[in-house]
Formats: sequence, structure tokens, C-alpha cells
Amino acid sequence: MKTTDNTLMAQVSNGEISKLAMLFERHHRALFRYFVSMNRDRDVAEDLVQDVFFRILRYRTSYDPGKPFTAWMYQIARHASVDQAQKRGGEVVGIAEYAGWHVEPASPAAGPEERASHNQSLGLLQRAMNRLPDDKREILVLSRFQGLKYEQIAEVLGCEVGTVKVRIYRAMRALEQIYLAMEKEKAS
Amino acid sequence: MKKLICLGFGLAALACAQEPQRLTLPFRDPSMPKKLNVELMLGSITVKGYDGNDAIIEYTGRSIRPSGRGGDAPPGMHRIGGSGGLEVTEEANTIRIRNGSFISRGDLVIQVPVQTSVTVKTMSGQNLTVDNIAGEIEANNFNGQVTVTNASGSVVAHSMNGKVTVSLNKVAPDKNMSFSTMNGDVDVTLPADTKANLRMRADDGDIFTDFDVNMGPPAAPQVQEEKDKSGRPRTRARISGAEQGTINGGGPEMQFTTFNGRILIHKK
Amino acid sequence: MTCDQTKALFADYWSRSLSGTNEAALEVHLAGCEACRGELDRLGRLWRELELLPAFEDAVEPGPKLRPRFYETLSAYRQGLESAPAPKLPPGPRLASLWPRRVAWQVALSCALLLMGIGIGFAVRSAPAESRGSEVAQLHAEVNNMRQLVALSLLQQQSASERLRGVSFAYRVEPSDSEVLAALLETVNHDPNVNVRLAAVDALHPFAASPAAREAVIQALPRQTTPLVQVALIDLLVDLKEKEAEPELRRLAGMASDPGVRQRAQWALEKLQ
Repeated sequence: MKTTDNTLMAQVSNGEISKLAMLFERHHRALFRYFVSMNRDRDVAEDLVQDVFFRILRYRTSYDPGKPFTAWMYQIARHASVDQAQKRGGEVVGIAEYAGWHVEPASPAAGPEERASHNQSLGLLQRAMNRLPDDKREILVLSRFQGLKYEQIAEVLGCEVGTVKVRIYRAMRALEQIYLAMEKEKAS
Repeated sequence: MKKLICLGFGLAALACAQEPQRLTLPFRDPSMPKKLNVELMLGSITVKGYDGNDAIIEYTGRSIRPSGRGGDAPPGMHRIGGSGGLEVTEEANTIRIRNGSFISRGDLVIQVPVQTSVTVKTMSGQNLTVDNIAGEIEANNFNGQVTVTNASGSVVAHSMNGKVTVSLNKVAPDKNMSFSTMNGDVDVTLPADTKANLRMRADDGDIFTDFDVNMGPPAAPQVQEEKDKSGRPRTRARISGAEQGTINGGGPEMQFTTFNGRILIHKK
Repeated sequence: MTCDQTKALFADYWSRSLSGTNEAALEVHLAGCEACRGELDRLGRLWRELELLPAFEDAVEPGPKLRPRFYETLSAYRQGLESAPAPKLPPGPRLASLWPRRVAWQVALSCALLLMGIGIGFAVRSAPAESRGSEVAQLHAEVNNMRQLVALSLLQQQSASERLRGVSFAYRVEPSDSEVLAALLETVNHDPNVNVRLAAVDALHPFAASPAAREAVIQALPRQTTPLVQVALIDLLVDLKEKEAEPELRRLAGMASDPGVRQRAQWALEKLQ
């Protein structure tokens, strides 16, 4: 019964501009989180969300209803992100450590000691994620946190599904190496 | 300039209840409005307006017994061990009281100048009482009653699970108010000449008043056939949407909401 | 199957989307290859831990200006498009030919300004009045603008009583006012005071014709944990006859911690049949 994203976007494409608001309500949070996880800068992430929806508006007639809306949206998101980075003259600020994130334990049942060490390992994991090269971090963000299926990610990245799976494996392996290296750093 | 004080409790050798701890804190800037902001997890809170310039804080903490049971001390022994504390800060004429590093059950009695704005929140199953305050009052209790008496400013009060009783001696002009609870009566007393627009929603109870209310168009009742506990069919009529009316020609909006209880609006 | 081929299956294994034949092949390889077994296990644990990272949970929310900015842009864009094709009152032969071009410029300018975060009000007000006949319309627009400004500024106030007043002003603006709608939605989702959130839900009723508002209300329901506000949202959805809320209502009817909410959600599901 729910109107699909594809249908809504097709309607926007046909001139029902106000329907874009529904897509906004459904997706802006996830999009914001994607940009924050790539960027670590909330203000830039907000600007990028605006930018993406404005581009969707401007390029609405180029939407192909046969393709999934989310994949198209993330393609636009990546272009917007690259354009932003170029404008700001440099790498997307993603790799810097972000000490300000507070890590809360997921399970309230853990005792204070467990919570403390759990916190620490999650914090380390977060920082390891930040140190991943952009393209590896992105593929993990898209699959793990934006909930995109591998086929959709293939669409977004413009590659084969098989390549997506291999890249995920390589990203996880890189993540593990960084994580272990950081653990050793801490211990010494 | 921020001042941080921790009211902690040392070991107390005597009875179960601790001695009340007392703290006096001045509102230092006479040019700024006075504000009190309290957020406690457990315990009853009483705020009273008085004729003075300082905030006087009295805290009686009780230790949390691990099993929740409480018991008599074994013969020849007495209970020792303190409960946690409070964190009190003062900044820009706002006094903030929060739980300290331990969460303890305790009763807080605070006296402040009458002309203070008071925001109080507690999570416990205890009572929240505010008396004789002329500033703006915001009172929130998660699981207990909220009682506001002798107010002469504005009141926004809510309890998740408890009766909300509010009595105003004077109503500040142009101030909106709202009184709500999920479970319990909403019992409000207003001066007889109060001008206000009333929005009332009592889902499963009645609305009573001795004011002369000029009612708006009645909300349409929704009628539903359902079965009661023994399977017999019965009709339940529900008014979805608020009843609206004005008193004394109308004025700022006052909202009354309860899911399971009555709404009583008294004329003073 | 080689180790490389095996590793290409890891992603499917972790997302539980391995096909039958692949699953069998994987098991066979893992039985004989300790290295791959170890790696699958270790990386798998990391994969699961990623889920616990709070930065990626619902906790990360955009700030309060995001939504109003979007709605301003959308509204300006639509206004620009709508006024472009047919000029309402041609100002005179000299200016008539300039009209379409000016509007296009206006749209472009207002869109650009919005992207810099400046309100549409500025762009529209700075354009000279096109004709005498539109004075009444302009006055009406100005009054509405003022109410809108009052509502928006009151909604930002520190005191709950003032925010309540902001919500009551919101009743008096045009139901198509997307900025106020955006501010009301922010209030429903994020205001620290229960009573204010409750009032904001009520104030959403007049905006109900807008599909964006309806969608936002559906999205708002799972984010609320206060029973009174949940009940108010459920009532609103029933009034809007919003069937797309059914999955969330079903969840609440079964799992909400407050019996009043469960009861109301159940009632709502029956009403929406």
C-alpha cells in the first residue's frame, strides 16, 4: 500500500514537485548519517543534504524509473561530496580522528567494568573506521549502515556486484589491520 | 562564573535516614531573572517561594538497599554507608541541581525567592510540589503526582502517571499554559476573572467546571462497537479531538489533557 | 574452490544471502582451510561489532535548521515555476517582454540565496510591486509573514510557556506555510517539554492536506516515547485516514510499554480498515 520511492520520484519527475518533500522526510536522516560518517563534519553534512535534494530537483527529469531511487540518490550524493571537496580544496576531511564521539554501550545489562572495556573497544573501532581510506570506508558505510543491498551498491558505484563483494572483503581486512595496529599502539 | 558544589554524604553511623544536608546559595546578579532548574532521578521534590534572596537547599538522602527490601539491623549492629549526592551549579543567576555520581533516593526541599522561574523534573514515584512561586513554572513528573499551589505566574505541568493539581492565585497576562497526564485527574483552579481559550481532552472521563464556558462546536464523537471482558458487545463513544471553549471572552490558550481521568476546572 | 573465490563469498555469508550451492562450496573449503576459517570468523566478529557503533545509529540527527531550509528551497522553487509561465497582470507593454526573464532570474536568485541560508522573504520583498491590484494580496502576505515570524521566533524560546504560544500562533498561519510546518515538525520531534510536543501535534491538523506533513507524521510516530504524544499522533493519523501508518501501529499495538498506547494503536488499526 505504501507508495514506493520510485513511484514518488517518477511523480516528481512528471511535475509534482511537492512530492519531493515525502522523499525528503523518508531519506534525509539516512543521507545525513552517510555524509557524517564520510565527513565527520556535521555542518558540511547538512549542506550536502541540501545540495543533494536540490540536485534531485534540478535533474528530476533525468531520473530513470526503472532504476531504484536510493541508488540514484546515493550516486548524486557521491558527486555532490566530490564537488564539495574540490571547492574546499583538498581531501574530504574524513580521516582525522574524531575524539569527541562518546561511545555508549549497546547493552545496559553490562556491569561498569564490562561497559568500560566495551566502550573502549567500540571507540577504537570507530577510530579505525575513520582511518580507513575513503573508498573502503564508503563501501562499509553503504552496506552496513545505509542498508543498501549489494546490487544497489553496484548501481551506485557503477561496478559489478561481484566487485562489490570483493571490495567489502578487502575493506574488512583493512579495517582489521588498522584496528589491530591501533590496539598495539595503545598497549605500548 | 560557574560554581560547582557537590553535596555528598560521608559515613553515617546512626539511623537509616541520613541527617538532612543544607546549602544556601545566593542569586548573585540582581539584573537577571532568577531561575531554578532541578532534575532528579529519584525522590520527592518540594519547591517553596519565600521572602528572601537566596536559594536554600535541603536534601535528605536515603541509601539504596541492594535488594530493595530494607530490613532491621541485626542485633548489636547499625547500618553505615552513605548514599550518593547532588550536583549543584550556579551560573548567570540560574541554579541547577542534578544527581551526583551516585543515584540515591532522597527528598529535596528548596526555598527560593517568590519571583523565580522554576523548572523541575523527576523520574520517581514520588510527589512533586511547588508552592508560592510567581515566575514561570514547568513541572514534570514521570511517575507521581504534581501539585502546584499558590502560583501567580504561569504553569506548564505534566505527569506520566499521576494526578496533576494546579491552583493559581493570579494568572500572568498573555501566558499559555498546559496541564497533562496519562493517568489521573487534571484538577486546576483559576481566578474567576481569568480570560482564556480552553482546549480540553479527557479521553475516558468527564470534564467538570463551575466556570461559565462559552463552548465551541462540539467535537464529533466516534462510536465504536466492541466487546467487554466477558465477550458481550458494548458501545464505546470516544471524542477524538479536543473540546474547546472560552472563559471571560477568551485569551491565551490553556490546554488540559488526560487519557484516563477527569478534568476539573475550578473557579476561585 | 580457491581461497580467493572463498573470500569473495564472505560478504554474502555475513549478510546471510548465500545461495545453496555457494553455501555448500564454502563449507567444503572451510573444512580444509584453517586460514580462511579463521579469517571468516575474525572479520565476521568485526562486522557484527560495526552494528554497535553509535555514530551510525539513530542518535546522529541533523540540526534543527536542515528541515526548514529544505522546505524553503522547495517552496521557492515551486513559486518560481508557478509564476514563470503566465504573468498575472502584465505591467505594461514596455515591461511585459522583460517579465519572463525577470522571473527566471528571481527563481535562480532565490534558489541561490536559499542555498546560502537566506530566507525567501528577502528575495520576494526586495522585488518591486508589479501592479496596484496586487496590493491586497501583498498585505495579506505580509500579515501572514508576520504571524509566521512570530510563530517561528516563539518556537525557539527558552520557556515552555512561550513555545506553547508559538504553537498557538502556528494555528493562524496559512496551511500551506511550509516554514511553519517545518518548525512544528521539529517541535514535535525534538522539543524537551511534553506539553509543547502535545500542542504541536494538535497544531499539525490544519496542515494535513500536505503529503509531506502526512509522511512526516508517520515518521514521527516511532521516534516518540511519551505515551500522551504517541496517542495524539495516533489520533492524528486516524483523522488523516493514513493507512501507511499501519505497520507502525501494529508494532505499537503489540509492543508499546504503555497499555493506553497499545489500546489506542489497536483501536486505530480497526478504524483504518
